[in-house]
Amino acid sequence: MIRNILLPTIFGVLAYGFWLSPDFKVIAAGVAIFLFGMLSLEQGFKAFTGGLLEKLLGRTTDRLWKSLSFGIVTTTLMQSSSLVSVITISFLSAGLIPLIAGIGIIFGANLGTTTGAWLVAGFGLKVNIAAYAMPMVVFGVILVFQSSKKLKGLGYVLAGMGFLFLGIHYMKEGFDAFRDNIDLTAYALSGYPGVLLYTLVGLVATVIMQSSHATLVLIITALAAQQITYENALALAIGANLGTTVTAILGSLGANVDGRRLAVAHLLFNLATAVVAIAFVFQLTAAVDTISRWMGIAADDYTLKLAVFHTVFNTIGVVLMLPLIHPLARFLQRHMHPKRRTAAQARYLNSSSSGLADTAIEAVRNETLHLYDNALQIITGGLRLELEDVRSERPLPEVVGNYRKVVPIDIDEQYNLNIKSLFGDIVAYISRSQSTMTPAQVDELFALRTAGKEIVEAIKDTKHLQKNLDHYLGSINPAISREYQNIRIELAAMLRGLENIRKQGGESEAILSLDGLKVDMKTNDKQLIVRLDDLIRKNQISAQMATSLINDSNYAYEVTKNLVKMGEVLFSASTQGVKAAERSLVLEAHEVEALATATPGEIEAK
Amino acid sequence: MKIKKLMEKARAYLDSQQRDRKEKKKYLKQVLRKLSRYEKKLKAQLHEGPDPHEKSRLEKKLALVHEQRKKGVRQLKKGLD
Repeated sequence: MIRNILLPTIFGVLAYGFWLSPDFKVIAAGVAIFLFGMLSLEQGFKAFTGGLLEKLLGRTTDRLWKSLSFGIVTTTLMQSSSLVSVITISFLSAGLIPLIAGIGIIFGANLGTTTGAWLVAGFGLKVNIAAYAMPMVVFGVILVFQSSKKLKGLGYVLAGMGFLFLGIHYMKEGFDAFRDNIDLTAYALSGYPGVLLYTLVGLVATVIMQSSHATLVLIITALAAQQITYENALALAIGANLGTTVTAILGSLGANVDGRRLAVAHLLFNLATAVVAIAFVFQLTAAVDTISRWMGIAADDYTLKLAVFHTVFNTIGVVLMLPLIHPLARFLQRHMHPKRRTAAQARYLNSSSSGLADTAIEAVRNETLHLYDNALQIITGGLRLELEDVRSERPLPEVVGNYRKVVPIDIDEQYNLNIKSLFGDIVAYISRSQSTMTPAQVDELFALRTAGKEIVEAIKDTKHLQKNLDHYLGSINPAISREYQNIRIELAAMLRGLENIRKQGGESEAILSLDGLKVDMKTNDKQLIVRLDDLIRKNQISAQMATSLINDSNYAYEVTKNLVKMGEVLFSASTQGVKAAERSLVLEAHEVEALATATPGEIEAK
Repeated sequence: MKIKKLMEKARAYLDSQQRDRKEKKKYLKQVLRKLSRYEKKLKAQLHEGPDPHEKSRLEKKLALVHEQRKKGVRQLKKGLD
């Protein structure tokens, strides 16, 4: 409702303002160009970094100072805290970094944004910035049209910076011309009423523009044109800092619980900083004067003094909040809970991470593992086993013997409930994520999708197997009952083997040992054929029973083959190159056959 | 002039193939080294005189790793084509 009214109102106010004053039009155009520059810069960095940012972020989780430094450095380099926030939220959602690291990065990003004020006040206003902007935009746009992904990314970065500069230039020009017609300082307010009012103005301006950086540039250019007083500019800067958290809160509404926790941490941090800054604004001003004198900044260079103020109060915020970071994380985890999710709902697929190649791949891997967990429940149920028993170390004949007759499970129903829609979500997410990926990354996603398909196939094979399993386990013929019991033991052993390998953490030797499960299953199959001949010869089973047994042994082999192939892709935690090497060593069907038929003597000789 | 350009393009293409091969070789060697260490570990366990069941399990594992290493070495010798 509010959103529906807000947009036409903003349009109306702006249109009225444009009609009233051409200079206001120039300032507003400057802000619009600046914001467009930021969008372009974000787009460029996303394409240009090619996963570098994500790799760096993955390594900044062990120590708080690393998270903090990451936030400072990346925000300084990219001049956009929102891109850093988006990456942080997507990493949190994908379960790749803990909340503490996320909060550390956001604190650091807040410090990083202060460099923007220094750049604009120290460089943007002192030189003819438009002279740099024009060639940057031209070269940037030419590069954007290139087919090479890196050149295109570079083009977006260059054009983005050009538009940022151009935006600053127009804001500066607009305020300079504005000064001749209207004197905004007439509306200046001193003392605490001024501080509170202008903090509110800064907050509202940032919420509307969705960028504290843009507000800050606007404040600095207005201050340089002496359209606002220094005192009010400080309050506006405090308001801009607060406003950026409203943007973050709005952005996190659609995110999962971690995104929302991070947004609240951001809000609490900026709120605490703002309260301190407002309460001690006059003492801070005096401190800024001292620091400025010490740094050799002229007493009337208010724009640089504003940059000093911005840095000082954000630093105070970090110093105040850093010791509280652990209690803060605990508080957020205790009071903000994830929405109740069923097993069928995706846990790691987040729209914010679909544009970040490596994060998207990791999210798909984790989600497919979740799919496997759901499938494992169905497959063990189909074999009339309990998952806990398969995961335990109890001897399998004992486990299987205990469950000769258990509650039946409807595999079709379970498949529709816990697999079908989740696999559909994974496939849809993969399709959405591919556009920004390299061929190698697309290959990895394709391998993960195939792993998902193999999980589904394994469930279908279990369903085929289940029919005769139920029928013959209760048979009065001990021979056929024993053979089906054997199939259950063999499959349970395979599932246990898979779980053990998964627990080993994805090392190459563990991944390749999955082939052993295929060899075991092939050996079992061969032994069954020998036993089968014997059973038929001795008239212990009928020909029909023998056919069923052969078919079902084949299904059991297919279940194993599909799950092992899935494990080779899903359990490996190595880099792309190592994964490819692992896959090239996986044994082919004839090699598995050769190992399965080797006699103990031959095996010993190897 | 055109032929010269074509030659250059062909060389660049071959260079990129060469680079890919080198990269693959590096990773394959890395995995083979891990397998070799694992094989030694299994052999050491076998020498400790395990019970017959454990011995057969270890021997099967050893045969598998050996087969996989052999496959990798064959690929290295063939130049990964």
